[in-house]
Amino acid sequence: MLKKTAINKISGLAATLLEAGTLLAPVKEAAGFNFREISDPNQVDLNFHNTILSPKSAFFPHMEDFVHYQTGKSVLEATPVELNLKPTFLFGVRPCDVKSFEIMDIHFSGTGAVDPYWQKRREAATIFGYAFDPDVPARVEEFYQTLGIGAADPEGSDIFMIKKDGDLLLKGITPKGEKLLAGLNGLDKASADEEKYFEDVIVGGRNVKTRFTCVDDKSIAKKFEDLFHVSDFWQKASAACLSCGVCTFVCPTCYCFDICDETLFSKGTRRRVWDACMFTDFTLEASGHNPRTQVFQRLRQKINHKYSYHVRKYGVISCVGCGRCTQHCPVNIDIFSIVDEAIKA
Amino acid sequence: MATSFKQIEEKLKTEAAKLLESGSVSLVLAYGKGYDEKHPMPYVAKCASDVANIVFNEFCTYNMARYLVRYPRGTKIAVAVKAADSRAVIQLIQEEKVKREDLVILGIPVSGMKNPKTGETIDSKTTCGLYNPVLYDVLLGEEVHGQPVVSPYDVLAGYEAMDKDARWAFWQKEFDRCIRCYACRKACPMCYCDPCFIDQTKPKWGDKSPEPAGNLMYHLTRFHHLAGRCIDCGECSRACPVDIPLYLFHKKVAKECEEMFGQAAGMSIEDKPALVNFRVDDSDKILE
Repeated sequence: MLKKTAINKISGLAATLLEAGTLLAPVKEAAGFNFREISDPNQVDLNFHNTILSPKSAFFPHMEDFVHYQTGKSVLEATPVELNLKPTFLFGVRPCDVKSFEIMDIHFSGTGAVDPYWQKRREAATIFGYAFDPDVPARVEEFYQTLGIGAADPEGSDIFMIKKDGDLLLKGITPKGEKLLAGLNGLDKASADEEKYFEDVIVGGRNVKTRFTCVDDKSIAKKFEDLFHVSDFWQKASAACLSCGVCTFVCPTCYCFDICDETLFSKGTRRRVWDACMFTDFTLEASGHNPRTQVFQRLRQKINHKYSYHVRKYGVISCVGCGRCTQHCPVNIDIFSIVDEAIKA
Repeated sequence: MATSFKQIEEKLKTEAAKLLESGSVSLVLAYGKGYDEKHPMPYVAKCASDVANIVFNEFCTYNMARYLVRYPRGTKIAVAVKAADSRAVIQLIQEEKVKREDLVILGIPVSGMKNPKTGETIDSKTTCGLYNPVLYDVLLGEEVHGQPVVSPYDVLAGYEAMDKDARWAFWQKEFDRCIRCYACRKACPMCYCDPCFIDQTKPKWGDKSPEPAGNLMYHLTRFHHLAGRCIDCGECSRACPVDIPLYLFHKKVAKECEEMFGQAAGMSIEDKPALVNFRVDDSDKILE
């Protein structure tokens, strides 16, 4: 059943969710919006287009402690970190980002080797997907339509939300979402007109204009494979690249991490921290050898991983067209243009 | 009458074509088309046919001096520089990272550059506030005169009014949101160390995780490594995806350095970097 609430009363819904568990929602910060754990329901702010950092940190935090230990003591005295999660509500995720969770699942649980941290966080979460505002055009950097993702696709969300003027319409998509929504107090029943609007926005979302180029998974994968040794193509694409980690850190589908031992005096923590294939030391081997010393090699790796190797191995492109990497790149390197040029090359 | 962006672009193209055709340089570091007009990119022209791709507009903020150290020593390079960028070239010459004779410096006199991310006009608040390149071989337009001349340190008034505790609290709050993407050091023309101290593991100077202690270690050390070397182009702050006002600390250190050693970074190729050079009359203020 379709429900609704006034957007200016969103803090009421936030308060209800906060009572039931942990709430992660967009919060306005100095440089823009980000998903954060909410402590005060008034922090939730849906007046955003998309967040700077993707919501991947809800399941794959920037850092995650595995073990606490004391240096010089037996490993038997080390304490593994147990995750005791409350039900978690991930609120206001755009459809392209919801799609990214499905891609990330491949790596953290889909290939047989299950990452218990990812898995537990994923199971504890209810995803409130949120359609891009039908009245606001897509950002110039976005290209999710190229990857077959609509501006209002509800797939992958447990509950899907669409904004209609001053109201937020909510619909349960999965049994988990339906059950939660049925039990939430303070929501109104939507009218038949609103139900029609909801369905229309979903269908209309497929035609929302973003940058578009015709990408066929298999042929783009082959194309990049053929381009691998065309170093001129990569030299040109990477001429401006600074080799920083912005693109990978804001990306919803970049999942590389490092495991570090960080100690302060005798107290140690073994933790997982995001890493980036764009960093010089990412591939630095213990021998001192580095197979990727050049910037073009690193950029080639990043693009090929997403558009070639990933397709060959898992049958799907590892990019959702959210445009964050382009938007936040200090020198405006645009993955869409690189893909587009590869198609034409 | 100041030279328009379009005129500068034309002159940049003409000079680049001349230099590449005559073979006097093997590459020209300039600006090229990005995914739209507002987002041009750093661009490397390697042959005369590349020249058509060169652009120049108010969003070409990037400091092309940053790319100089990427090429083998002895490579003949032409580099397009705005005021602060030319100071970076001078500083790199002082530090013997590039040789003056290997460079053709294409100076761009300009005012009214804009931050492509925010659209704000870039002035002395986040940069050194100069309009004309300090060093050049060819000036691509007429010198800019008549624009307001503001000290690059004026913006520090609010910061300097804070006491030690307030400053400590200020930086803790700012660094708290650092995601350790290292865009600041990578955008910096003076951050050419390989490896950077923060990437070293033996000894390990700071933690890799984006936690307050490691963030503070990284930024404070970087600030001090740039003492007397930062030429105040503001690229680090513009590169930051979470808008940390790094320029404030760099300006503060630059100001102190200038007061103590009577020399601003990258103003003359005859200077030696202030913290490398020892003079008997050097200020002892730091010991007081």
